[in-house]
Amino acid sequence: MSPGDELAERFRDGDDRALRTAYEQYGGAVLALAVRVLGNRADAEDVTQATFVAAWMGRETFDPGRGSVLGWLLGIARRKAVDRIRSTVRDERISDTVRSLPPPATTPEETPERVVDRLVVADALNRLPGEQRRTLELAFFDDLTHPQIAAVTGLPLGTVKSHIRRGMASLRRRWEVDGAASGPRSAGPSRAL
Amino acid sequence: MQHLDPDRLVLLALSEDAADPGESAHLADCAGCRDELRALHHVAELGAEAADVRSLPPPPEHVWAGIQADLARLTTPVQEPERTVVVPMRTPARGRPRWLAPVLSAAAAAVLAVAGTAVALGAFDRPPAADVTARATLAPLPTAPAAARGSVEVLSDGEMVVDVSDLPLTTGFHEVWLIDPDDTSKMVSLGNLSGRAEVVLPVPPGTDLNRYRLVDVSDEAHDGDAAHSGKSLLRGTLTS
Repeated sequence: MSPGDELAERFRDGDDRALRTAYEQYGGAVLALAVRVLGNRADAEDVTQATFVAAWMGRETFDPGRGSVLGWLLGIARRKAVDRIRSTVRDERISDTVRSLPPPATTPEETPERVVDRLVVADALNRLPGEQRRTLELAFFDDLTHPQIAAVTGLPLGTVKSHIRRGMASLRRRWEVDGAASGPRSAGPSRAL
Repeated sequence: MQHLDPDRLVLLALSEDAADPGESAHLADCAGCRDELRALHHVAELGAEAADVRSLPPPPEHVWAGIQADLARLTTPVQEPERTVVVPMRTPARGRPRWLAPVLSAAAAAVLAVAGTAVALGAFDRPPAADVTARATLAPLPTAPAAARGSVEVLSDGEMVVDVSDLPLTTGFHEVWLIDPDDTSKMVSLGNLSGRAEVVLPVPPGTDLNRYRLVDVSDEAHDGDAAHSGKSLLRGTLTS
């Protein structure tokens, strides 16, 4: 059982230390998502708070078999942040003020779903075995080719190839399970609170 | 048909190589390889974007304090003894927090002594109880079952505790509003209830509760329309 799975079990079983652990590990990602979506630090902190409260109150409907704690939290946070934008739009319309919104995610690249996917892949990358992770970092961040990576790391080209292929397969699985397009994980706290 | 080699797909996805004519022709014909390449390419893009979100510090401690305060309010019994019947179901006895010593007020302790499942209720330390500044009893409109009802308490810290029961099932969600009864086109959305008997919603600072005193619970569809659906289920007027 991976460390992530263990946290998921403890979280669902109501071990209060799991809430604190989840906060320390994933609070930053939840806040980053909310900041990206809302473009406002204070609102984003509110959403972060509400997300952890909702996740904890609804923990019994969380199914560790269908995704990670991070995926669960980001799903809740995304809906809460989007709800908040909707209610801001509504309040402004109702109060008849003609103000434009603070620009939240405006570029097509920066949809809330895209931010969720990026955070999920970043977490998956952090969890890869050392050499796999290192080769993928060189490919992604430094834009090195396979032969260049082999030269930098001293690994045989065939090993680099298989590290990258397996690493990308792991990231892809994680993205498919926990990414924003993975669909509702439960009828639970997604809309609760 | 010869599918593309997994290593080739990775190289193409990373844009390290371009597809040769034979591969391009195959990709044009083969939806399987095309989807595979598209997924890998997307993962490679996300991976490249992941650089600046890999080590994010946890949020500030005041956010954690807020979480604890909310959980204390949601999991500790309040005034009426009958709430103790409800609370244990939402707060299973497993998971007794250890980061805080349970602090129970004398009143709550007296209530707990009666309730058999008392142990779980001290779950979260509770901040000094906020005073109730206004309350409303929600009664069903003709659109709702006669048994549907609810109650609302506005606390001095600016939050509203909404407690509902027997609302009809919805394919959308239930939303709580504050309406100006003198001009019912003026209203403020407080948030959603969906599925939960009791929620705590923040009242937007500056909201004039003497004006927006009509509490309304509506049935909303997931239709992207942020305005009130017109389908009100419960209503009640705030009094202090």
